[in-house]
Amino acid sequence: MSRKKAARSKGGGSAPSAALPPPAAAAPRSPAPAPELPRNGGATSGRPSLSSSGEFYDLAFKVMLVGDSGVGKTCLLVRFKDGAFLAGSFISTVGIDFRNKVLTVDGVKVKLQIWDTAGQERFRSVTHAYYRDAHALLLLYDVTNKASFDNIQAWLTEIHEYAQQDVVLMLLGNKVDSAQDRVVKREDGEKLAKEYGVPFMETSAKSGLNVELAFTAIAKELKHRSMKLPNEPKFKLHDYVKKEVRGSGCCRF
Amino acid sequence: MAGLEDGREWAYRVDPYGFERPDDFDYASYEAFFSRYLVVLTRRAIKWSKLLKGKNSIQKSLKVKRYIRKGIPNEHRALIWMIVSGAQTNMEQNPGYYQRLLEGEKNDKLVEAIKTDMNRTFPDNVKFRKTADPCLQHTLYNVLVAYGHHNKAVGYCQGMNFIAGYLILITKNEEESFWLLDALIGRILPDYYSPAMLGLKTDQEVLGELVKMKVPAVAELMERHGVMWTLVVSRWFICLFIDILPVETVLRIWDCLFYEGSKIIFRVALTLIKQHQAFILEATNFPDICDKFKQITKGTFVTECHTFMQKIFTEPGSLSMATIDKLRETCREKVLSQG
Repeated sequence: MSRKKAARSKGGGSAPSAALPPPAAAAPRSPAPAPELPRNGGATSGRPSLSSSGEFYDLAFKVMLVGDSGVGKTCLLVRFKDGAFLAGSFISTVGIDFRNKVLTVDGVKVKLQIWDTAGQERFRSVTHAYYRDAHALLLLYDVTNKASFDNIQAWLTEIHEYAQQDVVLMLLGNKVDSAQDRVVKREDGEKLAKEYGVPFMETSAKSGLNVELAFTAIAKELKHRSMKLPNEPKFKLHDYVKKEVRGSGCCRF
Repeated sequence: MAGLEDGREWAYRVDPYGFERPDDFDYASYEAFFSRYLVVLTRRAIKWSKLLKGKNSIQKSLKVKRYIRKGIPNEHRALIWMIVSGAQTNMEQNPGYYQRLLEGEKNDKLVEAIKTDMNRTFPDNVKFRKTADPCLQHTLYNVLVAYGHHNKAVGYCQGMNFIAGYLILITKNEEESFWLLDALIGRILPDYYSPAMLGLKTDQEVLGELVKMKVPAVAELMERHGVMWTLVVSRWFICLFIDILPVETVLRIWDCLFYEGSKIIFRVALTLIKQHQAFILEATNFPDICDKFKQITKGTFVTECHTFMQKIFTEPGSLSMATIDKLRETCREKVLSQG
């Protein structure tokens, strides 16, 4: 696939979306974004585009990070985006924000537009609106915080209410580096995930454990959904995650 | 000599409020600005000391309003905020109230939510470090816990941690910070932080309407690309420009906020947008627009706080409270109907 620079429109008034990917309809299984939502949030295929940071990509998807306040959403995102851990240097997320990262999946450049949200309950009425055209949701809890795990069911209810039916969903138990403070067993996370038919893994934004994998797995699934080749075997997200996931090491709870 | 150099180096790396300057801080242009601003500060300090004549009181008046728009000297800031916001009166009329809130029974959920944000409030400020002595985290915790029990309808909302943090840095007094927080959340700002956040959602819409009237090309751009105002400005409202604009500029804005009320937030927002209209209009897609809105809160235009504050009263043009009240009414209806 050639990646030549996409034409950018000049002058504010005309053809504002010339540089934008075609609408989400290009991807059969992805929902069309609601009119007031970002139009480039949809998946694209067939034409390479230029992201705002100047990186080329073939496909673009919107991923949202959700879960209780303090479970590590921002840290997970920064670990994935910049490969760094924000030890004691990050502030609580107020409202909503996003960052882009382009990754290569089976030779295809996939841009993930990753939305980081405030976890506090009252901000949910602000963030709901963004669920609708999300292609994937990463739902996080903190293995050292029982309440954040207990709230997962409420989050799932919320997701079922506001997100698209075919949204790619994954459950992540974060902060497994804090072995001593762990109060949620890996088995509990697995059990809950199984109950809801959602892929699951434990992560650590601090050590980097499974962070790359979580986003890569999502990107693979979305890529396979939107550009399925005739002779390609079906990609199975559950199996892929099971095969690739790494344990949190010696200190099994 | 080396020690002196190190000391100076440290003093420069941390601003007078305790915030560490970022690695890419432009010392040269800041110095150039500050040497000019120092002249203003000195002139204002003389004017204010004449106005106060050593007394700890002032009456609201056109002259005081004018003085406040030109900036309250830091040594009088806490006092003037306390007086003009009504916090002083409330504090005097309720002796011991704050202490009783702290000693009373606590709501576990509220306390938990506040604790979650303790290490996430100003990690870049040396006074809020766990190792600082005194550690302002304790003060912050007390103010927020007391406030959550005082105003149960609001409890604790993220964003309040930053606001209370600034109040503590300026007043250096826990109880005064509490009463100033109450002035802001209970009276000056219209329902930004309660669980439904109706006032916040309404004011974001109001800003959208004002931009339609005053900077229509930008409103049209936002509409064309489907960018909701909440995405680019919610932090402006919730954090009252903390971490968005430079500290000194935020404090100058708050001077007016305490005297003139929430209208000032619209003036600041409109000034930022109008001033950078051409720049914003260069955006050709959704992420570009979001990026532009981050860019316009940086650079000399916002660092030069004295000029900036003059601009906010001229650039957006007339902005009557009647207009805002009317827009708030219609926008609130609109927000409510959207559920």
